[in-house]
Amino acid sequence: MTTTFTPILKADHLTKIYSDRPTPALSDVSLTIGKGECVGIVGESGSGKSTLARCLLRLESLDQGTIEFRQQLYHSLKGHSLRQARQHIGAVFQHPTAALNPKLTIIDSLMEPLDLQPSLRPSFISQPIRNREQIATQLLEYVQLPTKLLSAYPHELSGGQKQRVTIARAISTEPDLIILDEPTASLDVTSQAAVLKLLQELQQSLHLSYLFISHDLAAVYQMSDRILVMRHGQVVDQFASNDLYHEERHEYTASLLDVFLA
Amino acid sequence: MSLSIGLRYSFLTLFLLFLIVALVWTPYDPYQIQMGDRLQTSSAIHWLGTDHLGRDLLSRIMEGARTTVGISLAILFVSLLIGVPFGLLSGYIGGWLDKAFKKIIDAFMTLPDYIFALILTGLLGPGLVNLIFAITAVKWVSYARLVRSIVLEQRQKDYVRLAEISGMKPWKLVVKHILPHTIGNLLVLATLDIGKIILMIASLSYIGLGPQPPSPEWGAMLSEGKTYFQTAPHLMIFPGLCIVITVLLTNSWGDFLRDRYDVHIQSHSAKRSMSSILFRKGV
Amino acid sequence: MLSIRGLTVHHQLQTLVHPLDLQLHRGEWLALAGESGSGKTLTSLAIGGLLSADLHAHGSIQLEGKELLHLSEPEFRHIRGREIAYVFQDYQSAFTPFITIGKQMDEMIRAHTSLSRQQRQHSCLAHLEQVELPAKPVYNSYPFELSGGQLQRAAIATALLLSPKVLIADEPTTALDSLTSRSIIQLIQRIQQETGIAILWITHDLRQVQRTADTLLIMKSGQVVESGKSHSIFFHPTHPYTVQLLSSIPKLPSRYRLELQNKQVNT
Repeated sequence: MTTTFTPILKADHLTKIYSDRPTPALSDVSLTIGKGECVGIVGESGSGKSTLARCLLRLESLDQGTIEFRQQLYHSLKGHSLRQARQHIGAVFQHPTAALNPKLTIIDSLMEPLDLQPSLRPSFISQPIRNREQIATQLLEYVQLPTKLLSAYPHELSGGQKQRVTIARAISTEPDLIILDEPTASLDVTSQAAVLKLLQELQQSLHLSYLFISHDLAAVYQMSDRILVMRHGQVVDQFASNDLYHEERHEYTASLLDVFLA
Repeated sequence: MSLSIGLRYSFLTLFLLFLIVALVWTPYDPYQIQMGDRLQTSSAIHWLGTDHLGRDLLSRIMEGARTTVGISLAILFVSLLIGVPFGLLSGYIGGWLDKAFKKIIDAFMTLPDYIFALILTGLLGPGLVNLIFAITAVKWVSYARLVRSIVLEQRQKDYVRLAEISGMKPWKLVVKHILPHTIGNLLVLATLDIGKIILMIASLSYIGLGPQPPSPEWGAMLSEGKTYFQTAPHLMIFPGLCIVITVLLTNSWGDFLRDRYDVHIQSHSAKRSMSSILFRKGV
Repeated sequence: MLSIRGLTVHHQLQTLVHPLDLQLHRGEWLALAGESGSGKTLTSLAIGGLLSADLHAHGSIQLEGKELLHLSEPEFRHIRGREIAYVFQDYQSAFTPFITIGKQMDEMIRAHTSLSRQQRQHSCLAHLEQVELPAKPVYNSYPFELSGGQLQRAAIATALLLSPKVLIADEPTTALDSLTSRSIIQLIQRIQQETGIAILWITHDLRQVQRTADTLLIMKSGQVVESGKSHSIFFHPTHPYTVQLLSSIPKLPSRYRLELQNKQVNT
């Protein structure tokens, strides 16, 4: 490839130890995510992949390691400067039901990030629009949801619809990076496929970078340019997606391949 | 206790009406001593009779309602005012504050509420303000504890995390995403507590640690009346009945609200139990 | 062996499972696949009389010619375990927490047979060995001392204790890691070859059963939309929903295809 690689996020030697666990949840994990790139992380439960996501989102403190986000120091930011840096990062989690406050209507949950930063207006929203409701309507259209859902409460939506709302919310601030932690694991097979397709389309049209985390190697392959394999808090293998069947694949990767190769 | 909704509301309305009337009007001056009329039983002039100083008993009970219910609401209000913010801070900030709070809880758990309040009023001396202070000191802990546990539970929710990622300031996050989840629980606990607080006030007053004579308070009235129990039992029966009715009413409303609040939780768990039926172990 | 005709399940006025026919033969692996709300689990529970009281099943379910649907609860208890055994998704609650695995397995045999203590223990150990667990240590363990995969294996051993004719497995690997679930499936496959037990496998993930199932039933909103030989459905699905379901599954390209793709990109 001839395009220059500009990292949007660069994490080095991340280590996280929980006092109640014998082994580190993360041990010396390093990764970079380039602009417009999708990096996939595959691992089973307990591999540390979700801990990694939470550390990158600064929801948990690190014991060791550094994170640079948009060429700026990120892991030590606090208060106002952390809030500023986090404007450029989005997240989608596994359980769409837990991601929406049951007491708020869809529009209020969806617009929360933009309500917090009234000066931000996503560039992909057509310009003459001013009004909050119109922006929300367009966001829902972007994720192919009927706009009548705006005034609904989360329990009236299906799992797939809720996940689309959280995706719409994640793209609303036009972040540079979206961290997707098992975004389809709790969905039915058909809505899983639809959500993956939506995520790919959004990545194309909005030039997003993704960190796509899943236990499903096939889904990770489908989404990602590069794949990191995690096990017991360590990155045991990493490779470009089109280099999946290389002789030097780690034996753990090979056994995963064996399972997912139907 | 299950009452029909209509009955439940009519009892509450009657009780509130009684309180409102007591606030603005009593048939006689509750402090007016008429030694010539002492220890009379019910009559057209004095509906509930008179006490050992010839004061109109109904007027004193109405005046006492102001005191007893008023004090209990005041105690409740102050407990909420201290307990809720403390619980929020303790749960949200954590760290040394939370550790200190846990120590306080442990300390309070060692003795029953009554004993604690008794010791405190004993130390401070009798009187209205000291009584309020003592019971509040005991009561605020349970509110702080409740709020703290809800905060800890809510903090784990993804929508709280997402709000944090979206750059929401901590205090706003607490107000928007955490506080609303405490309201139902607080309402139930507070309603149930009114009865307990009234009983506490009455029992402390009964042993002379509450408001001092001549101010009428139901517990104190019981205490005054006990000397004349054999000749004028109405002196104890009517204030006693008032305490019983009020406590029953608040308890029944508390249960009612808790059921209603739990119904909300159950409608969620009903869905879950549907799936637990589906995945039931049957072998 | 197991023959279901016109089975329906109702909840009040709602029909949750529409008339369903199913034949399960000795040594056959039948997979019942569908998304949540498709009625696959209700069907599996109806077979063992495990539906909750507010659900009503009609039609006919015959096990070796014997009608099951109108059995009383004690009669059903007699059948479950002996003739029809279940393995569920939630392996955590398959065992009572504070009783050893061995005791719970022993209880199961004692409830159904009059074997001596030694015979019972011998049978338990043999079945634990059959599921490739270290028999003695697991026999004496408490459930919380075992990993998820081990617990599910122990649950399978318990299900097989009385040599049932039909094993109903309701998403038994969904809560497990992909490598662990793979090994569980291989284990059941081996046991099937050894014992000829008939297997009804309930799943939402078609990938799991692609290699193992002989027959496939695809369900959607309480109806069977397609059924037939597993490989013919996988390679020539006819119903649009089956096509959609199959195309929804994330797939890895074969080594050959990927190399071909890479070559095309390079040139």
